[in-house]
Amino acid sequence: MVAERARENKRVLEVKNLKLHYLTSQGAVKAVDDISFCLNRGETLGIVGESGCGKTTTAVALMMMPSPPGKIVGGQIIIEGKDIVPMTETQIRKQIRWEKISMVFQGAMNCLTPVYTIGKQMMETLREHREMAKEEAIARIEKYLAYVGLSRDVLKRYPHELSGGMKQRIVIAMALFLEPKIILCDEPTTALDVVVQAQIINLLKDLKQQLDLSFIFITHDLATEAEVSDRLMVMYGGKIAEIGTNEQIYGKQGPMHPYTQRLLKATPLLHEKVEELAFIPGRPPDLLNPPKGCKFHDRCNVVMDRCKEEEPDLREVEPDHFVSCWRCRES
Amino acid sequence: MKLKDLKVSISEFWQEFRKVKSGLVGLAIFGFFLALLIFEPVLAPFSETNTRWRDISYWDDNPQSAYPIWVNFFSAKKYAESTLLENPEVKEEVFGTNRMVTYTFEYDYQYDIAPADLILKVEGSGVAMMDLTFTRPDGESVLLASSNLNMAEGGVNRISVDKGSKTEAYEFLGYFESRDNLRKFQRSSIKPAAILFAKAQENMLIEPEALKGKYTMQAALLLQRPSDIVRDVKLVIPGRVFGLLGTDAFKRDLFSGVLAGIKWALLIGLLTAVVSVMVGVIYGVISAYLGGWKDSLMQRIFEIFNSIPLLPVLIVMSAIFKPSIWNLILIMCIFYWTGSVKTVRSMGLQIKEETFIEATRALGASNFRIIFKHIIPLIIPYSFASMALFIPGAIVYEASISLLGLGDATIVTWGQILRDAYTGGAVINGLWWWVIPPGLMIAIMGMSFAFIGFALDKILHPKLRTR
Amino acid sequence: MYWKYVIKRVINGIIIYIILIFIFSALFNMQMEQTVRAMIDEKVKGEVMAQSTSGKWTPEQLMHWSKDRKTYYYELYNLNKPVFERIVSRTVDTLLFRYGKSTIIKSSFGERDVVKIIFETVPRTLLLFGTAAIIDVLLGTLIGIKKAQKPGKPFDKGTSIATMVVYGMPSWWLGMLMIMFFVYIVKVFPSGGMHSTPPPTGFMYHLDTLWHLTLPVLTLVIIGFWGRAFLIRNIVLGVLQDDYIMSARARGIPERKVLFGHALRTAAPPIITMALLSLLVSVSGGILFESIFSWSGMGNLYWISVEQSDIPVLMGDLSFTTGLYICGLVILALIYGFLDPRIKVSGKA
Repeated sequence: MVAERARENKRVLEVKNLKLHYLTSQGAVKAVDDISFCLNRGETLGIVGESGCGKTTTAVALMMMPSPPGKIVGGQIIIEGKDIVPMTETQIRKQIRWEKISMVFQGAMNCLTPVYTIGKQMMETLREHREMAKEEAIARIEKYLAYVGLSRDVLKRYPHELSGGMKQRIVIAMALFLEPKIILCDEPTTALDVVVQAQIINLLKDLKQQLDLSFIFITHDLATEAEVSDRLMVMYGGKIAEIGTNEQIYGKQGPMHPYTQRLLKATPLLHEKVEELAFIPGRPPDLLNPPKGCKFHDRCNVVMDRCKEEEPDLREVEPDHFVSCWRCRES
Repeated sequence: MKLKDLKVSISEFWQEFRKVKSGLVGLAIFGFFLALLIFEPVLAPFSETNTRWRDISYWDDNPQSAYPIWVNFFSAKKYAESTLLENPEVKEEVFGTNRMVTYTFEYDYQYDIAPADLILKVEGSGVAMMDLTFTRPDGESVLLASSNLNMAEGGVNRISVDKGSKTEAYEFLGYFESRDNLRKFQRSSIKPAAILFAKAQENMLIEPEALKGKYTMQAALLLQRPSDIVRDVKLVIPGRVFGLLGTDAFKRDLFSGVLAGIKWALLIGLLTAVVSVMVGVIYGVISAYLGGWKDSLMQRIFEIFNSIPLLPVLIVMSAIFKPSIWNLILIMCIFYWTGSVKTVRSMGLQIKEETFIEATRALGASNFRIIFKHIIPLIIPYSFASMALFIPGAIVYEASISLLGLGDATIVTWGQILRDAYTGGAVINGLWWWVIPPGLMIAIMGMSFAFIGFALDKILHPKLRTR
Repeated sequence: MYWKYVIKRVINGIIIYIILIFIFSALFNMQMEQTVRAMIDEKVKGEVMAQSTSGKWTPEQLMHWSKDRKTYYYELYNLNKPVFERIVSRTVDTLLFRYGKSTIIKSSFGERDVVKIIFETVPRTLLLFGTAAIIDVLLGTLIGIKKAQKPGKPFDKGTSIATMVVYGMPSWWLGMLMIMFFVYIVKVFPSGGMHSTPPPTGFMYHLDTLWHLTLPVLTLVIIGFWGRAFLIRNIVLGVLQDDYIMSARARGIPERKVLFGHALRTAAPPIITMALLSLLVSVSGGILFESIFSWSGMGNLYWISVEQSDIPVLMGDLSFTTGLYICGLVILALIYGFLDPRIKVSGKA
């Protein structure tokens, strides 16, 4: 009981049975369908999966910003003990977004308004949430710019004048300067070249240490994920396939879910001879009319009859290691 | 493109188009116009409208500035409808070598507002002495005319009561109306028909009350020589309402006129739009494809054309060259083609960069082939949207030129009708049925093409879809 | 940086203007000269008349003398030079605003200088169309944004239909209807012109002008503002789908600021471009509209000069309108460049 309570106190975010569907004229597209996970204080949870598996949608759901016709149709998102799903838009805007949870966007290319200077955008964001005198605000902004390694010159510039890496840093600084507990990073390094990628990743790691932050790091690049995450969550077809610690997934034992296994196999290793590129045949499931049973069954190489009928639920197979797979249950 | 491919893409296109309701409405209206156009010969009460629009004699029997017939639905006082009485009772009496032929017309008048005129039309040859007697239900008779008729072979003699019987009507009036009221009006300004159909009482001039009942008009013609013959006598009663859209100040049936205008509007709109857009597309694609200094040069030329204010120049050219409708269309095309070039060129630039173009070139295709067989077909769907949206503008330009009197006066377009309306004082005199229908047709036709064009545009720019 | 852009555009505009004036001069050279020739003939006739009444000369001498006078005048007006030279000199004259004197039309002060006649009418046209344009854009922006917020819903669809309904409607026709109804049937507004006769003084003068302004502006707005709203809605909708809008919302910026700050500001260049463009088109094409309302602006003047065959005024007005139009296009490009920092900072188009 005590251990349970202790564990709960360490959690900054709990998601229970979250469902986000896009209600189109042809039916509901189940982009995120009943997922449950949690984020502990000071850790980085990575979310991986193919395009369309629901990772970005999860992030959008956590920010309570589903784009129409999307809607959160069920579940709970609990931050600091409070469920934010039933809150009104105004409450969320004032108390939750950017205060408790912020987001570093995908493709910093286009997430800064082209007609305002960086300074204006940062000031606007800061002063929207805090009553601050101008000097105080500038001081705070500069402090965080320093964290990400930028000088104050950047405040006078317009977004199109800056490089991708610089823009990414600005976006990170903005996500941090209100000192929220949870930072969502949605493919923050995808659009950057390798050198800059490495810089940004190191930056994120430093910041996590210095400022005691909790990250959710979304990407489709397993290598980056391995570098950054403490725990890993694999999504497929809008559902969670597997959750485990970095060691459990990448370690010698390897992952348990067939999908995760093949994903790892598909990434060629630098120091191994590669005869043929392994890949997973088939396509991700249609989320409008998903197949019965396990969403992965038509591409699975160890599929059983039960997989085609019943959908497996997420079960803890080892401490902190969850898998949703019938075959894994057997062993 | 193969015919099979074409068929497939057309049916795909139609599937998409069907989904946009407004586009279908536009298409329906267009279809309606087309139907009116095809059936014009049958629908138009006056079949020679197109050729005899400016011929006064063709319209002479109509009332002037008459309301449309359906106005009677909405007004408490009914206006007299225009009637043609054709089969009079004929009585012939012989007095020695003279013949007296009497034509008697019966007219049952149940309206509140008197007709505009009574016109007797006599066809015959030779000479006749005519007495025209008008008998009212209250028993009063008025001798409207007593004169000699010279009838030319093959011609028609028109005797208009409104014009020719003012004195007689005034006399009749004198028996019943008060001196004061009579003094208020000049003899030449009274309307005989209004008096003839009014109750004989004081104030019949200022506030006439309709005398309803059976009236007779009797034309007694005395023929003295054997060569004097009367073949036919008709009585035309131009009312206060006429036709579906009334008449204008020149007695022309506006419904026929408006129908006649449809073909010109469609011709002008479609021809100008199609030619302009085609030229614009070809120009834009060639400019984009050639690139380099050729592109720059073509762009400069384009800019020059683009900087010309269209209407002023159109007006001057029309004033100087006094064009026929075809020349007008030509001139409009000369300036209109610039409209779509900018967008087409940027589309062309994008397509040019596609790898399949490179591939085609590598296969040895000539520039001409690439431009016309590969690039332009991709732009054609967009150009349809353009064409549809250009049409209303072209129609309005022609109407504008016609309104100023610079258009082609030999044809009947809606613009021409509006010009006559404006110079004929329709606005000042509140003759709404003259002003509204032609302009409304322009607006409706414009609207239908706008619906079609925007629907096409929506299909081609899915970013703006909101399903 | 930005100045480079400015200079490029301005020079471009000037060159186009010169080319166009040249073309106009060439095209209408014959007409212009007809007028001049007629004028000369009359002048010489007058002179001959004066001479013959004095009774000094014989008919042959008079004829000879009139021929001499004609030659003199032809030289004076360059009519004896080759065609090309004549066109060029006329082009130069027009470019330098030396429009000459009108044949019939007079300014309100009774002057015959074409330049003065034209310049008098310019502010009036701008008053009419400018006012309408401002109201148009303001209303259009408000409604357009409302439409963009709930796209596809009844409000959006309904107003879009209204747009298409008036798309092909001639503004002058609606003007005719408005006048017919509001002036002659329900006598609320004056029938035309800018002022009553005699015009009142002082503050009432302005009120009177306003009263005369109302009906035409109302007509223009009824037709114009739907199109404006529709275009603005499309532009704003496009902008709202960009990522930085979602980013701004995620940062907790209230919706009003996102809409009117981030979105509108980004959409401003194309919106203003479009607004100005339509203003330009309506000014240059406002000939019929002004005539219907007897509004003595440039368009009305243009029409009168065509009717009266007053070629100098016609040419002058045409040149001036074209010049204004080109100016407008250049200013448009400049404003767009200014508002879009991507252009302002880099100087490229």
